[in-house]
Amino acid sequence: MSIIEVSDLSFGYSEAEVLQGLSFKVEQGCFLAIAGPNGAGKSTLLNLLSGILRPKAGTIRIAGAAIESYSVEALAEKIAVVRQEFVPVFGFSVIETVLMARTPYFGRMGFESKTDREIVRLALEATDTAQFSSRRVASLSGGERQRVFIARALAQNTAILLLDEPTSFLDLKHQVDIYDVLKAAQLEKGKTIVLVTHDINLAAQYADEILLLGVGRSYHIGPVDDILKTSRIEKVFSVKGFTGRVRNQSFFLPLGKFAKDRGAAQMPMQPRKSNPDNFPC
Amino acid sequence: MSAGEPLTAKKLAATIVSAIVIMLIVMFACSLVGPRVISFKAVFSPAGPVEAINPDYEIFVHVRLPRIILACLVGAALACSGVVFQALLRNPLADPYILGISSGAGLGAIVAVISGLNWTLWGRSPIAVFAFVGALGTVWLVWFIGRTTGRSNVTGLLLAGVVVNAFFSAVIMFLTSVAKSQDVHSTIFWLMGNMTEEDFFVLWVGAGSVLAGIVGLFYISPQLNALSFGADDARSMGVNTARTQMIAFAIAAAITAVAVSLSGLVGFVGLVVPHGVRLVFGPDHRQLLPVSAVAGAIFLVAADTLARTVVAPAQLPVGVVTAIVGGPFFLILLVKYTRRVGWLGK
Repeated sequence: MSIIEVSDLSFGYSEAEVLQGLSFKVEQGCFLAIAGPNGAGKSTLLNLLSGILRPKAGTIRIAGAAIESYSVEALAEKIAVVRQEFVPVFGFSVIETVLMARTPYFGRMGFESKTDREIVRLALEATDTAQFSSRRVASLSGGERQRVFIARALAQNTAILLLDEPTSFLDLKHQVDIYDVLKAAQLEKGKTIVLVTHDINLAAQYADEILLLGVGRSYHIGPVDDILKTSRIEKVFSVKGFTGRVRNQSFFLPLGKFAKDRGAAQMPMQPRKSNPDNFPC
Repeated sequence: MSAGEPLTAKKLAATIVSAIVIMLIVMFACSLVGPRVISFKAVFSPAGPVEAINPDYEIFVHVRLPRIILACLVGAALACSGVVFQALLRNPLADPYILGISSGAGLGAIVAVISGLNWTLWGRSPIAVFAFVGALGTVWLVWFIGRTTGRSNVTGLLLAGVVVNAFFSAVIMFLTSVAKSQDVHSTIFWLMGNMTEEDFFVLWVGAGSVLAGIVGLFYISPQLNALSFGADDARSMGVNTARTQMIAFAIAAAITAVAVSLSGLVGFVGLVVPHGVRLVFGPDHRQLLPVSAVAGAIFLVAADTLARTVVAPAQLPVGVVTAIVGGPFFLILLVKYTRRVGWLGK
């Protein structure tokens, strides 16, 4: 069953068209990565899917109903959003921040119920943030902070998680940590994950499908291995490189003007049996 | 208080009751202090013959009590308004006057003086009435201009506030330079903060409207927490941001306008009190708003007591005292609590 259906979607700022005639479906429980060059409209698409922006033309259906038919509160029961790395102005603690996800469910006096607290406890555990729940969000590292915002999104108890470049300022370890948390949410809780990213290799490792948005309003969507083709990636990102597979995972290696091309021709397109990690670089 | 732990209704009730008890003690103590020190016993002891006047009673009931009630409601209004503007603009430097309320009120007051109007509305002079209208009108103008730059554009709103403030300040300077010096002097003195009000009807109307505003703000305080993370984040958490922002702005502007029309422009309260309370109690608006209201009341009652005693029988404008006392007090809090939880509780 498709939980997100986008039909003939167009959007533009002033006169500049950003998205044109975009159509795709996301199945329930799917992990979709949205990639593409700067200005292709990735974040715009996420803002359209989260109801922040309204389409110029076309329709977005969430769980079978037009997105416009949802109230703000009702949409927040379906979709949770994690934005780019963000440091809050005021010093809310981790648990206070995650509890905010339950704001629409607070009682008349503005306090959470026991159920809300239990949901928050599970979200903190799922993201491994319970250990610093009383610390201030602003005092955490970038990776820890993003895990807190993912915990907040999980505490909304929605079927869909939308994430806008959640790992853009993180080192490799913290990037992998975030993707692990998201994959667990997909596999263990059946969440539908839609994630905007610039890192197509990491996305290829975790996502089921990739939506590749190109400049010139072209787009491609499909399983990772179908989308990660050298000619397609080169064309969309205007960069030379090549695709390959290591440990049964597709990847794309870009080659800039001054890149050391040491034996791309000998690059094994399939991992060697003796040592699958033995990549000649 | 345990930093970082979520707030419970029981904990909040205990904190508010404690704060109110402290406020009542400060009010009582300050009512006895002044150029003439009075005792509570003397206030309510018979003055002798029936027609004789008990000076302590007269001073307490007709001079100090209204002044203390006025300081309470103005301090509470400005502190709560500061909390709201800081949350909505996500700017620690925001205060109740940031969107041009001060210049709007000033312009209204100067226009009233120059017009030579001589009537009263519910016991208020034309200066107070025009200041109230000028304050509210300016906030509406700034809100209207700011919204044209985008529904959630905080920068647009701030810039609109700065520009309108600058323009109205220029108009005030122009009018000041062409007005008679005596008129200008009385207006400027009034604008510097004036805590004299003898009409209990005006005080009760003011107190009622400020209290209603604070209750309204408390009601939307969980939404203000979410809005501290930005409008888009709050919206994705299910907060109707447009409605919450409009209600919060309207109430904060209204209670500030009430405060300005009663006492002129008292600076520093709306900036220093929210930060002080936030540093001690944390940023949760469900606690921050009511505690700031009480703390603002305590702060202004204490500051006004100093203003009327340190150079007695003369008086200082209370705004001078709030800045002189509030600055170092805030620095002490800043140093003490930054060591413990970091700046702004980080």
